[in-house]
Amino acid sequence: MSATPAAAGADGGHTGAHSWWQQLGAVMIKEAKQVTRDPSSWIIAVVLPLTFLFLFGFGISLDTTVVKIAVVREDDGRDAQDLAAALSNSKWFLVVPAVDRPTGERLLQDQSVKAVVIIPAQFGRMLHAEGASAQVQVLVDGAEPNTANFVHGYVSAIWSGFLASRAMQQGTPVTPLVSVEARYWYNANAESRWFLIPGSMTVIMTLLGTLLTSLVIAREYERGTLEALYATPLTRGQILIGKTLPYFVLAMLSMAVCVLTALLLFRLPLRGSLLTLGAVSAAFLVPALGQGLLISVTMKTQMAAAQLGLMTGYLPAMMLSGFLFDINSMPAWLRPVTYLIPARYMNVSLQTVFLAGDVWAVLIPNMLFMLAVGTLFFGLTWRRLHKRID
Amino acid sequence: MLRDPRARFSLILPPIIQLFIFSSAATMEVKNIHLGVVDLDRGPYAATVLQGLRGSRSFTALPQYPALAVARYALEREQVVGVLVLQSGFSADLAAGRPTSVQLLLDGRRSNAAQITAQYVSSIVSSAVAGGGGAPQPGAAVAGRSLPNAEVVMANWFNPNLDYRWYMLPNLVGMLSLGVALMITGLSVARERELGTFDQTLVSPATPVEIALGKLLPPLLVAVVQATLYLLIVTLLYGVPFRGNILVLYAAVLTFALACAGVGLFISSLVYTQQQAFLGAFAVLLPFALLSGFATPVENMPWWLQFVTNINPLAHMLRLMQGLFLKGTSFHSLAQDMVRLLEIAGVTTSAAVLLFSRKAA
Repeated sequence: MSATPAAAGADGGHTGAHSWWQQLGAVMIKEAKQVTRDPSSWIIAVVLPLTFLFLFGFGISLDTTVVKIAVVREDDGRDAQDLAAALSNSKWFLVVPAVDRPTGERLLQDQSVKAVVIIPAQFGRMLHAEGASAQVQVLVDGAEPNTANFVHGYVSAIWSGFLASRAMQQGTPVTPLVSVEARYWYNANAESRWFLIPGSMTVIMTLLGTLLTSLVIAREYERGTLEALYATPLTRGQILIGKTLPYFVLAMLSMAVCVLTALLLFRLPLRGSLLTLGAVSAAFLVPALGQGLLISVTMKTQMAAAQLGLMTGYLPAMMLSGFLFDINSMPAWLRPVTYLIPARYMNVSLQTVFLAGDVWAVLIPNMLFMLAVGTLFFGLTWRRLHKRID
Repeated sequence: MLRDPRARFSLILPPIIQLFIFSSAATMEVKNIHLGVVDLDRGPYAATVLQGLRGSRSFTALPQYPALAVARYALEREQVVGVLVLQSGFSADLAAGRPTSVQLLLDGRRSNAAQITAQYVSSIVSSAVAGGGGAPQPGAAVAGRSLPNAEVVMANWFNPNLDYRWYMLPNLVGMLSLGVALMITGLSVARERELGTFDQTLVSPATPVEIALGKLLPPLLVAVVQATLYLLIVTLLYGVPFRGNILVLYAAVLTFALACAGVGLFISSLVYTQQQAFLGAFAVLLPFALLSGFATPVENMPWWLQFVTNINPLAHMLRLMQGLFLKGTSFHSLAQDMVRLLEIAGVTTSAAVLLFSRKAA
């Protein structure tokens, strides 16, 4: 498919460094042309990363904003009204009034609200009575544990605020004896976006690096052009490099787009240097591209390659890289598996470069791991490519 | 496609493996916390706090550092997620009844884990100082905050222990079938186009509507088979309750698969090569996954993105799955989501048919 007359004329590709490079150039030009002529490549390099980063930045947030709850107030007294008002005035809750307990429970069951707060009849009287106990019941939708935990925290905070202001009115202020002053380094406001955006970049880079290349050789195989490629005097090394490099450039380009968006639109700090960022990205692309090529030489159809790429590239980058879910919290048998996933190293490195700076003690081991995994993938690809010729 | 034993195999085994691995990985609970401690106080209250931390199952490593500078180094290298600093005079202040504080430095690079760690630490510190014997287990089913004669009692419905897997497994059922259904329809037409057999189909007596229906059938079959497998694994192996009606579940699975296949068909009507189809499928797969409530709740999104979730099949599917598995939601409320899914299927399929027939003409 790509044998130019110049390349075909050289005998075996081993006559000298010059013709080796010429041949390599021919493959690269062919692959680069195929990439640049296809308008979808530009969509991939620019539009896709932008859209994804945009969606990641706005769509994914672990900072619970407003939770819809129902309040059932069975008591008309002033205390009950105060508590209900404290709940509706809170910036955490959007309160839907419910007339009675069954109505509130139905709202919870039909997924309309996340919690029901029940202020029981006699609440005010119990609050004042000596020896009696006023109980506020909160039914929380446990189906989403993360939100449920936030609701617990918010209700507790509003409740202690309510008690404190009551105590204040009665002239007995209560101050906690010990307070925990939490300070977040690298991310003072503990904004989840700051750690999710570097993670999103990892996913986008995996998509470009692994998924696109996973189709490259499978495509030639499916179309029957692989034999033609083998018939040329190109060496395996030339085929591999020539096929990979254009995608490397494409991925680096879209990384640049991502970085610009992150800095300008999402106002992420870049505390490390741009050079380090580039080095980390390049190091990540070695295993990412290698994995794609390995899939590509293993699978015979593009459909199968695409599915394998999805399963071994994209999904692990989403789920096992520490992007959304903390690796330390995973079960002990699963943690070693994450070491095989290049996205894991990329994720840590990017978070560090953006938020902490050029911490070489973190970056160098991670980059070395990426290169090692990448070498493994390329080595396996090289061997498999050989077998196919026979 | 179903005749090929390898394809059949690839449709069944990988989804099951994924279900196992991802359900274990996907947890927002924070476990196995490594927290550094700088104890400059060395008094009795500091010892109680440390004991409280050691007693909690959430903290698996509590390295002690002689000074803040050393601890900072460990934090920077991600050896610990946070550092608790107990200043000298901490015990003396408490003994004298003066209000005091402890410092907690956290790694903002992992802000979610850090925030949850902060909650755990502060509950342990306050209960240790109050001398209220033993640390409370974070995330316990009933978190009470008791004061002399008033208290809040919290109960978690649908998932009393807030087990994250109960949330994740029904979601994964939707997520994994989305990918399969999209890819099967999205790539199959493009493949035929690449191989040149699609034109043959178009000139055959079959109408574009018939061709489209023929393409919708395989993903529906696959979805039903996978749903049965998932249902068995999720309920029998993981013990997640199934509180809905089994027929409604299959109805939900079918409408969802139809909607996904419709989207896949629409993509395949726009593209010419498998690579393009793959990218197209991916370009919708990722936003669908992100904007569905799969990883982070829909309520956390800005309103305009919440609006977009209306046309996202996965968002409806997740509500259906949560409703069926955990909540036993009424059919009336579930039917709304299913109607939406059918609408999505209808719109995308007719758009695809329109495009096919234009090309055929």
